[in-house]
Parts: sequence; structure tokens; C-alpha cells
Amino acid sequence: MPATRASAAMDRTYRRMLVPASLAVGIFAITPLLGMLALSFTDFHLVRGWSGEIGIQNFVRLFEDRRFISSIYIMMALSVFGVLAQVVLGTAIAVGLDKIVGRWRFARGIFVVPFAVPHVAVALIWLSLFTPTLSPINAFFAVFGIEVPALLTTQTGAITAIVIADTWATYPFVMLIVLAALQGISPDLDEAAALDGATRVKAFFRITLPLLYPTLLMVALFRFIETLKHFPLIFVMTSGGPGRATQATNYYAYVQTFQNSNVAYGASIAVFLFLFAAAISFYIAKANARLSDA
Amino acid sequence: MRDTSTAFRVKKAFGYAMMLTFLAFSLLPVIWVVLLSMRPPTALFEPIWESPGAWTLDNIRSIARSDFPAALLNSFITAGSSTLLAMLIGVPGAFALSKRRSSNKFFASWLLLLLRMAPPVGFVIPLFLVYVRVGLIDTYVGLIFAYTSLTLPFVVWSMWTSFNQIPDELIEAGLMDGASLGRVLWRIVIPAARPGLVAAGVLSFLLAWNDFFFSLIITRSDTTTAPVAVMNFVSYASVDWGAIAVASIALTLPIVPIIVLANKYIVQSLGGAVKG
Repeated sequence: MPATRASAAMDRTYRRMLVPASLAVGIFAITPLLGMLALSFTDFHLVRGWSGEIGIQNFVRLFEDRRFISSIYIMMALSVFGVLAQVVLGTAIAVGLDKIVGRWRFARGIFVVPFAVPHVAVALIWLSLFTPTLSPINAFFAVFGIEVPALLTTQTGAITAIVIADTWATYPFVMLIVLAALQGISPDLDEAAALDGATRVKAFFRITLPLLYPTLLMVALFRFIETLKHFPLIFVMTSGGPGRATQATNYYAYVQTFQNSNVAYGASIAVFLFLFAAAISFYIAKANARLSDA
Repeated sequence: MRDTSTAFRVKKAFGYAMMLTFLAFSLLPVIWVVLLSMRPPTALFEPIWESPGAWTLDNIRSIARSDFPAALLNSFITAGSSTLLAMLIGVPGAFALSKRRSSNKFFASWLLLLLRMAPPVGFVIPLFLVYVRVGLIDTYVGLIFAYTSLTLPFVVWSMWTSFNQIPDELIEAGLMDGASLGRVLWRIVIPAARPGLVAAGVLSFLLAWNDFFFSLIITRSDTTTAPVAVMNFVSYASVDWGAIAVASIALTLPIVPIIVLANKYIVQSLGGAVKG
């Protein structure tokens, strides 16, 4: 049958197209991850090297390490408050912009500006705004005799500062996606709700929000994973301080590996984070598969 | 049916006030950094309204004379090469993933997502150890390979979703005309998927351009990228705020035209990636 022969030939071509990508993903991405996994079962130290011992001692140590446990709390605080602020703010602005047409459309462009600023620059801009001697915020309130507290000197303050900087830079991302989703929702629904006598607010919570729910969930999950990987903001704004107050888990892995030379222990922290990401990405992939089947 | 009651007007005014507040929140830090970049060191620590005439271009000149322009060039070279490599390898792969009849697509999609989301610290530890051994520390090749671990999974994932929206009939029609599959991809499918292609290219470039962590660990003075080079202006003794402001702007400026031009495509592509 020529048809089958043709489709077999096509399948071969498809497979050939997959070869470079598979090889490259294998070499560039999967090999380092396997290396990380292997390292986490050793006691490799940047200076002392490896004693030849293999075991799960790193993982046992993880759960006795108070700094590791507290790094998880810090990470969760940064992620939960950050994602919450970004999703709420992004959605609110998107809903506001959705109704704006004509002359004010350019406002969309302005809201997107911080999205273009690289993370290191975001961190430096906000570091300058949170440096009391330099900050125009402090100077402005000083005119009225109000002294703005130095956020970066306390744990709560430093976490708040990082969340603010992160939110500033990334809520436009949420906004763009929610805006795209809102434009897919038929305006007839709003009108129907208005005819039924529902108030605007009620219509939003009863009709628009449930329709947005899948989009919001996906955006929140994506942002959640990104916030777990916080690095430049912490490195530049607080260096993990004051003390160790903002050493989130990812940052703690960096400190153990590259400052304390405990490579194997750092790798085991990375494995922990990796498993976390694996669980969440599994959930997203499942949800995606469901959506594309439907 | 227009409601013109006072309550409605109050609500509307409240809405506009909210929007203006957040517009200020988004815009003021940007204006601040532009002002900061033109303040002389002598006027740095006093409010702008106390020395409204103190402006200088010295900060820009001193950045131009420093190592920073070279670092910007390094960023361009490595982010650009890595994106090119990821597109060349990733686009055909994504096409095959999208159109080939195969049962195990779920695993591929999970793997790609996982690679996009895995913590960079996990990639960088083994890379660092291997690079020290084989002499790839502080080389373009080393950094481009490291960036490809970020850009390739991203390109394959996002082109996969773009190709899914290309109807199979288009490919079948091309094959009927006697073209090979590779030719159909090049001549028909890629032009049809152009928005997705632009978005994938732009976002993958940004992914590498924004990187701080890889560059911090595996580059030294020769190939430092701009985000790490900015940190040269921060030291324990003093922080050169004027230089930092100029460098931050220099780091952002190349991105702005890209974002503005590709904005529409990016929104489509992000929306598609989130919705599936």
C-alpha cells in the first residue's frame, strides 16, 4: 500500500527532526540535572574534594538543618505574598483596562514598561528607593515631618521590599494574559447580567471571575514557580540579610555551594527544589492535556 | 441606558483614581532612575527640589569609558547565539512533536515544562564543575551552552503550541503537491506560524538577556554579561548610584523596542502557552 509506505517515510522524517532537539535537551539540560542528582548523594566539597563515600546523609542533614527549614518559610512567604499581589493587581488593572477604549488605549503600553526592565535593574532601582539617604520617598515624606522606616533592616520589611519589587516588575505579565483572556469573553454576558439587574460588582464576581478562573490558576502557578527561583532580587537588595532573614531556599543552595563550598549539600537542596518544581509542572502538564483534549 | 446618578460618578472617579495610582506606581520608579542617572555625585543625597539645577552627563560618560559597553556586547553575543541555536534545533523538533502521531506526548510536555521550571542552581552546580575541568569557565561557548539549557526547552514548548494551531490540512495539501515534509515546514508551516516564531525568538532572547545567575557563576572578567557587570559599581566601600542608574537604563533600552514591536505576538503566545 503506497499510503502506508508514504506515512512510514513521513514518520521517519519526523523522527529525524526530533533528533537534534532530543540530543541537545539531553546534553544541555538533562545531563546537568543527573549530575546534580549524583552529587547530592556524595560529600563533595569544592576544596576538600570527595571522600568516596556515597549515601543519603545530605538529605538526612537537610531536615535537621534549621537554616534550611527557615529558608522554606522565607521562600513560601516571598512566593505566596508575591503571587497574591501580582495576580490581584494584574487582574484588577486588566479589568480596568478592558473597558477603556480609544484615547486611553496607550495606558496599556505604559503599564507594560516595567516588564521590559531586566531583573537586576529592577533590584537596583528598588534598592535605591529603599535606601533612606537616597530615596525620593523618604525625602518627600520628610517634608511633612514623617520618617519612613528603613524597610531593609528588618525581616518583615526586607521580605515586603522584595515582594514590592517583584510585583512591580511582574504584574504586567499577569495583566497581559488576563487582558487577552477577558477579550475572549463575550460582552453579551455582561449585558445579559445588566438586564437581569445585577450590579457591576456582582456581575464580575458571579460571571467574569469564574470564566477567568482557569487562566488565573495557570498564571498563578507559573508565577509561583518563578518566585521559587528568586535570585537577583535577593542577591542585590539584601544579600540574604539582614542576617539570614531573606535566605530563601534557592539562595541558601547558592550560599552552601558557592560561598561555603559544600557542593554536595547545595546539590541536595537543589534536588529538593527540583522535586517541588516537578510536582507543580506535572499538575500543569496534566491540566494542559485536559484542556487541549476538550 | 446610561446611569448618571451621583453614586455612579463617585464610583467612576474612584476607578480612575485607582488606575492613576497604579500608573504612578508603574511609571515613577522609571522616571526616578532616569533622573538619578543625570544627578552629579554632590547632589545625589539631597532632594531634587533643593538643587533643581544640578544635572550632569558625567555618569553617562564614565559608563561609556568603563568595561560596561563590552559587557553589553557580551550579553548580545551570548543571548543572540543561544536563541539562534535554540531556534535552529528547537523549531523542527517542535514541529515533529506537534504533528507526528505518537502516544507519549504527555511525557514530552511534562519534561519540557519541568526543564523550564527547574531551579537554575541545579543546572549550574554540575556545569560549573565540568567547566572548571574542561576550561569552559569564562568562555562564550560555555555561556551559550548554559543559556541553551534555558532557551531550548522554552522554544520547543512555545513553538509546539504555535504549531498545534496550524491545521493539518495545510500540511497535507503541501504534501499532495509533492513537496517533502522539510520543504512543507520551511515554505508553508513556518510562514503561517510567524507570530509564534517571533514571540518565541524574542522571549527566548529575553530569557538569556535577563540572566544573572549563570553569568555570575561561570563567567569572569572576559565574558561577563551586562547584568553581572552592573554589580561592579556596587562595593562595600561605596555605591556609584549615578553609574548604576545609567547602566540599568542601558540594560533596559535595547529591550524596549523589541517588546513594543513584538507586543501583540507575545500576548498571543503567552495566552496560548497558558491556556494550552
